[in-house]
Amino acid sequence: MTIELLKLAGSVIAILFLAWLARHWQLGGDVRIGNEEQARAIADEIICGFDPVDIAIDKAGIGALMRDASGRHLLVRRHGAMWAGRLLDNHSETRLDQNFLTVGTGEKTFGAITLNLGERAQIWAAGLRHLRV
Amino acid sequence: MPELFSPIDYAIPAFVILVILEMIWARRKAPEKYEPRDTLTSLALGTGSTVAGALTGALVFSLAMWLYQHRLFDIGWAWWAFILCFIADDFAYYWAHRAGHRVRWFWASHVNHHSSQHYNLSTALRQSWTGFFALGFIFRIPLALIGFHPGMLLFVGAINLIYQFWIHTEAIGKLPRWFEYVMNTPSHHRVHHATNPRYLDMNYAGTFIIWDRMFGTFTEEVEGEKIRYGIVKQLGTFNLLWSVFHEWVGIVRDIWSAPWRHKFSYLWRPPGWSHDGSRDTSDTIRTRWLERQQQPAE
Repeated sequence: MTIELLKLAGSVIAILFLAWLARHWQLGGDVRIGNEEQARAIADEIICGFDPVDIAIDKAGIGALMRDASGRHLLVRRHGAMWAGRLLDNHSETRLDQNFLTVGTGEKTFGAITLNLGERAQIWAAGLRHLRV
Repeated sequence: MPELFSPIDYAIPAFVILVILEMIWARRKAPEKYEPRDTLTSLALGTGSTVAGALTGALVFSLAMWLYQHRLFDIGWAWWAFILCFIADDFAYYWAHRAGHRVRWFWASHVNHHSSQHYNLSTALRQSWTGFFALGFIFRIPLALIGFHPGMLLFVGAINLIYQFWIHTEAIGKLPRWFEYVMNTPSHHRVHHATNPRYLDMNYAGTFIIWDRMFGTFTEEVEGEKIRYGIVKQLGTFNLLWSVFHEWVGIVRDIWSAPWRHKFSYLWRPPGWSHDGSRDTSDTIRTRWLERQQQPAE
């Protein structure tokens, strides 16, 4: 039993060391959405076949909102060094503060994200408030 | 029964050293291949899995011993029995793994291994906490009834697990053709972890890729196509407990809200299945993708 506990303690120390090492070496990087082409590629990765007709990228590139021809709205946000997204529905939380639009998915673990969309924030806020599904 | 050492105990220091070596490679070539929080989640899942295994392993071993007492053949401990046992166990692993992707009940446990959006050696250690609860052992335990001693099954199972560690990397390209034909390799297993529609639910092998070739689930890695890792609906969080239990929670929610005649389907049908067709399974995603490929470019 003592040996098993020592092994467990050793494992915990090892994983903390490896996580620290990954952080110390700055692995992961700082991913940003630089342009619409990249946003389209990310959208297709998240929802296979999602073809946006309108795209709003956060000024800092940390997330984006996209709408396809059928009116589906996709929220994309940074997740570590990768991207994650959710289709939004009429239960999604939306808060507008001048150029900043905060969008929540209703999923506690996914969280909400505040996007700086400039003047277009109001247009997107209105679009999200009128989602039918 | 001969005294067998625990291969995992000897392998763990090597695992740690190899993860460090791969991090050095990532630091030089592609820092985005690792993410500190993702690595921490993966390794915590691995440690938790070891604890869960220690708590439930004795029960599974006892059940295997009971089956062994009613064995059909006296296979014994000859050297060739180990080889035979390894091959038979790998065959059973293939089917356990295939069920782990095609039946939501088993997927709820196995999804833990796939929920990282990264593919590196730390992902190999990202293992389930709920394997015992999901009853995944039912695929491999019948080997005891055939006549392989549970101690031998434990030993070859550990060797199989160790083999599967080194294939979780993007640092190794394709290997010699003969090796790629017979063995599971980093290339084949990258396909398995991919969410690209062409790769979904393919390459279930543990050690020998021949099972996939035999049973129609083999797909070759396509040169030049970027692989996206993880699950169809990415978690979007590094929360450890949510990573462990999210699919179980999803099953409970779906069963709760589904009409009575559909409730049971949420346990045994493929992940992503829904009674109203509002969600996607890997089959529907692949079908839609194939349709798009066949459409003429505008």
